Amino acid sequence: MREDKAQRRKRIINIIGKEWKSTFGNLNSALFITLLPLIITAQAVILIYLVMKFAGAEVLVKTLLGKGMESWLTTFPALGELPLIERFQVFFFAQFPFYLLLIPVMVAVSFATFSIVEEKQEGTLEPLLATPVRTWELLSGKALAGAIPSLLITWFCAGLFLAGIIGMGSGHLLKYILNAQWFISLFLLVPLFSLLAFILGVIASSRANDPKTAQNIAILVVLPILAIIGGQLIGFTVFTLARLFFLSIIAGVLNLFVLRAAVRLFQRESIVVRWR
Amino acid sequence: MSVIIESFDLTRKFGNLTAVEDLNVRVKKGEILGFLGPNGAGKTTSIRMLAGTIAPTKGYAVVAGIRPDKEVEKLHEIIGLLTETPGFYERLTAKENLLYFARFYRINSDLQVDKYLKKMDLWERRNHKVGTFSKGMKQRLALARALVHEPEVLFLDEPTAGLDPKSAREVRQLILKLREEGRTIFLSTHNLEEAELLCDRIAVFRTKLVVLDTPYNLRNSLFQRQVIVELEAVDDNIVNRVKGLDFVLNVGKDGRQLIIELKDFDDNRPALIKCIVESNGRIQSVFEKKHSLEEIYLTLIKEGGGMEHEGR
Repeated sequence: MREDKAQRRKRIINIIGKEWKSTFGNLNSALFITLLPLIITAQAVILIYLVMKFAGAEVLVKTLLGKGMESWLTTFPALGELPLIERFQVFFFAQFPFYLLLIPVMVAVSFATFSIVEEKQEGTLEPLLATPVRTWELLSGKALAGAIPSLLITWFCAGLFLAGIIGMGSGHLLKYILNAQWFISLFLLVPLFSLLAFILGVIASSRANDPKTAQNIAILVVLPILAIIGGQLIGFTVFTLARLFFLSIIAGVLNLFVLRAAVRLFQRESIVVRWR
Repeated sequence: MSVIIESFDLTRKFGNLTAVEDLNVRVKKGEILGFLGPNGAGKTTSIRMLAGTIAPTKGYAVVAGIRPDKEVEKLHEIIGLLTETPGFYERLTAKENLLYFARFYRINSDLQVDKYLKKMDLWERRNHKVGTFSKGMKQRLALARALVHEPEVLFLDEPTAGLDPKSAREVRQLILKLREEGRTIFLSTHNLEEAELLCDRIAVFRTKLVVLDTPYNLRNSLFQRQVIVELEAVDDNIVNRVKGLDFVLNVGKDGRQLIIELKDFDDNRPALIKCIVESNGRIQSVFEKKHSLEEIYLTLIKEGGGMEHEGR
């Protein structure tokens, strides 16, 4: 029994190792996975800096963002003690954890599609399924191969963002930003969305014959994330602690549903007979 | 010899289409069984069912005492499968590819990979990316992959398809070596020459098993054995004397050759020669007409499922 467990672990590690070798051995996918998160993070920092510097609080308050700010204030009254400009800064900084969700989603989708479509294009799935590897080991290995770098990169970018805030001279605002919502987003929502994106990547890849088509299908998962950010910015909703938990539950349930579909699609027979 | 692969009414349908119908086949340990059939006959589907990568709609198989539909992972420990299109990770090297597959088995993967890279004459190219390999090299690498865990039973699906004559010959020599090692090989092919050269028995298959026997028995069951006697000159006297023999079934003439069908071929051939010599026929050569496997195959395929029998 223990030997079986060790063998299973060995097989999953083998899959992870091969996935990393394949993905990071390909310049396009390696650049996509490492540069894109840095660009997303830098873009956020620069955008907030430019808006604050050139638009100013008086202009922002007259826009839809002002309405968003007001809603935010009712949920987080402690912000009221800050000058208007800093309130806006905290308001923008607080959107970052949601914006950050784009990173694991894009990295996971990219991993899933590159890895599975490559197997389809090269015709390696059938020989692979003729080895003693179990399909769940294959799926787990691929999921972990995508999840580990995507989570590490996301958390690294979160750290980079905080460093950017300090670099902008707003370090004193960190106490308003590093609240429960920030940590829930980072350590609950990020893994859940990462997994969801990966599974959708697997499902899309089972139908598509090239990584781009698969990515185009799977990337639809970014739409709800954009809706969350947009909804908060214009004051449509504020993600309080309770709402974040609720969102996490929805993401968890959604994961279960799509995982069932993916497991069905990822059966030996489906792969050999139906995946074309 | 014991039976190592056996199937019982193995059937596979895809919707309304029956790809394989009631396949009953027995393969003895250590033999090469040729599975012959036209494109779309269901050869690959049969192999997939026997190798456990797809499930049968009806019936079952037993391979080395294991049922593919029940214990597929256990089965995969002891079988090797060469798929029709042996794909590789083209950006990885030959060694990396082989190691990846070898690590799924309970073997000393480094040792086995080195052994088969050498055996398949790929050692010098082990650190080259597979994308740079020729078709023949890829096929040898695919064979190495199917063999790296030392399987008892090998399923080879069109192992020489698309190869140039030299590479195809190399692969055939490798298959013969594998038989010498005592492995059982289930070889799907539509190359008749290859089947004749490699296989102990041949199964002609088109959705269902048409016939299964040795090439020798297949010839004899389908065609009357014929002797060809080449003479310096053929005259009517010789033809009439031969026709008068009571064991002669038929006599044909083709230039200086007499083509004769006999009853009890081996027993009556000397008497036939004697008769020709006594009729002043000057014999240049005598040989038996061998029907090619192609003739046998085409006859069987034309006849379809009309003559199911299995010689065991």
